[in-house]
Amino acid sequence: MSDQGEPMFSGIRFRDLIMVVGITGVLVVGAVVLHTARPGVAGRTAEQIRASGECANCHRNETGAVVAQFEMSAHARAGVTCLDCHRVRPQQTSLEHHGFEITTATTALACQDCHADEVRQFERSRHALPAYAAVMGTEGYPPAFPPERIARAEEIHPGAVHRPPNALARLEGMETTVSGCLGCHNIGQPNADGSIGTCTACHSRHSTAISLARSPATCGQCHMGPDHAQKEIYSESKHGILFEAQRHLMNLDAEPKLLTAFDMPVPTCATCHLSGLEGAKVTHDTTERLSWWLFAPVSEKRPQYDQAQAEMQGICLKCHAENHVTEFYANAEALVEATNVRVSELMERMAAVREAGLLTEAPFDEPLDFLFFDAWHYAGRTVKHGAFMDGADFVQWHGTYDLMNRITEIEERIEALTPE
Amino acid sequence: MEVPREPVNLSLTTPRRRRRWLLEVFLAGNLLFLAVDIFFAHSVNSFREPVEWLPLWFSLAGGLALIALLASGRGPDTPLTRWAGGVIGALSVGIGIWGAILHLDSAFFRRFALDGLVYAAPFVAPLAYAGIGFLLLVNRAGFFRKAADDLGWGQRVTLFAAAGFGGNFVLSLLDHEQNGFSFWTEWIPVVAAALAVSSLTLVGLRRKPAPGLVRLALLTLALQVGVGLLGFWLHLGAGISAIGGRPFEAFVHGAPPFAPLLFADLAVLGGIGLLALPASSGREPGVSRRSCGDAAPAP
Repeated sequence: MSDQGEPMFSGIRFRDLIMVVGITGVLVVGAVVLHTARPGVAGRTAEQIRASGECANCHRNETGAVVAQFEMSAHARAGVTCLDCHRVRPQQTSLEHHGFEITTATTALACQDCHADEVRQFERSRHALPAYAAVMGTEGYPPAFPPERIARAEEIHPGAVHRPPNALARLEGMETTVSGCLGCHNIGQPNADGSIGTCTACHSRHSTAISLARSPATCGQCHMGPDHAQKEIYSESKHGILFEAQRHLMNLDAEPKLLTAFDMPVPTCATCHLSGLEGAKVTHDTTERLSWWLFAPVSEKRPQYDQAQAEMQGICLKCHAENHVTEFYANAEALVEATNVRVSELMERMAAVREAGLLTEAPFDEPLDFLFFDAWHYAGRTVKHGAFMDGADFVQWHGTYDLMNRITEIEERIEALTPE
Repeated sequence: MEVPREPVNLSLTTPRRRRRWLLEVFLAGNLLFLAVDIFFAHSVNSFREPVEWLPLWFSLAGGLALIALLASGRGPDTPLTRWAGGVIGALSVGIGIWGAILHLDSAFFRRFALDGLVYAAPFVAPLAYAGIGFLLLVNRAGFFRKAADDLGWGQRVTLFAAAGFGGNFVLSLLDHEQNGFSFWTEWIPVVAAALAVSSLTLVGLRRKPAPGLVRLALLTLALQVGVGLLGFWLHLGAGISAIGGRPFEAFVHGAPPFAPLLFADLAVLGGIGLLALPASSGREPGVSRRSCGDAAPAP
């Protein structure tokens, strides 16, 4: 009742009431329809939904490249939000960031949520802890890093994890190690959250593109230079030449499990070492298809030699005839054996000189130490990599010729050291 | 027919002057409060663009100037009050429209998609300046002053409030879409604003709004006050819990606590309009001069 004693809504017409209810209803229904038409909301938390646009709204102005990279990614097309990767997981340090609790350490732990198989395969590879230990040995592990993970890695790669820090890296100093060696070798760093490595080394942080991982330049960011000139060798090979000429015709974004020779009629590093070309098994274990320890001074067959060679040759056979593949492998292995002989003899010569007391036991303190290291580490490796990657010039001029040249110089130095 | 000149009366003795003075107080208060609101809103990006300081300084200067004019006891009709308020009003309209364009330019103009409206700087928010400025201008316009003592004045103010609630409807829809309406309570302001738009528009457009309809609109406005206070409480709580108990961060980066108060604020504006309507509007405008809010009939 109103204060005049009349009913509260006296005089109100039914038509007015209907109009009030009607207009309200139309507006509310319109709002609900708009909301329900919105994709990517169902099953998401409020924070995730906020992150789907709010992060980009700021970062478009602050660090625009990050947003641009993310927007071209498959993650963006699949409705992955910034928070899906940047949310704080157990043992990760939390950072308050404009209303969000985030982590900036987007390690393999974040990728593992959706790509568990890939992370597991990666952890078995030499890209994981062995890569890190090759420089740092057993140093630099976060205190909480699970010891069983180290033990497991050592089990897979005996002697490659429980090892002393690299002698040369130690002599060069931490400044060089951090900005130099670890620039590549931290691909397998042990993380404080207990995970190993970072997938972004090959997939980049925000575009997370398959095409990027398939690009030779991505592998070449580390696999280049005189000690492992794979990028240069690939560029010289028929594979590299054709890729350079036909890259624009290829579908580098093809689904890994559906990749065909029609998507990539020319292989890149990823095709032979990782991809599932024409139904072959996809792997993130870069070691799986390797049959020789080519990086060693004297190369030996890997324990899974037969299986690895069969798998790699299986990829070769997607494009080449069997006799060609067999012949190619026979030539390459002959070259490995020949190089092994040269380097073995050199190693024996060096050991004898050291035994005779003409050289100290300390590493890298005399010119001969460097000359010997360069001989097998540069020239010797180049021959073997060139042999398996079809790099004629690297087999010969940068390889065998260079190795012979260095051996001759070493012999001359040894003679000069030897008393009359 | 020649319209008789208004008598020179600068006091607030007449109901129409009191109403317009009340509206002026409301607008000055709003302009001043916007300075606080803008301070928090533009702190989100640490006032990255220098132009983001403009509304803050304008709100302070304009709001204080209006308060000073009101406090001087001159009333709304002296030349100084008219001109100063007019200039502030015109500037406010300009800043509001410019602000809306700049806010849209932050994302929506670059990519015409709905999420560009949801996550961009809220384009409706600067229109508060346009609304305040427009009301400042019309509060001194001749036609408005002359209408101040009949049914039309209340109806026009009511329609302005309805338009404001229209803005609130869009604002709550877009703002809460940032969360994807993850909490059912986020629908409350959408429904409330829709109800306010419909009931106030109906009153504003009816030539003879029935007293029952006016009371329904008043009840709707009372509901808006409740919605505003509830929203303030919920936003404050959500912000503080999200930011871990740091009030400044909660104000800047959490759910904006002041935004829901716009419901209560517009309810006051709607109330000013509704209470200026005659108690029984079943008769022709001008026949009854007795307003819900007036103790005495207008001269």
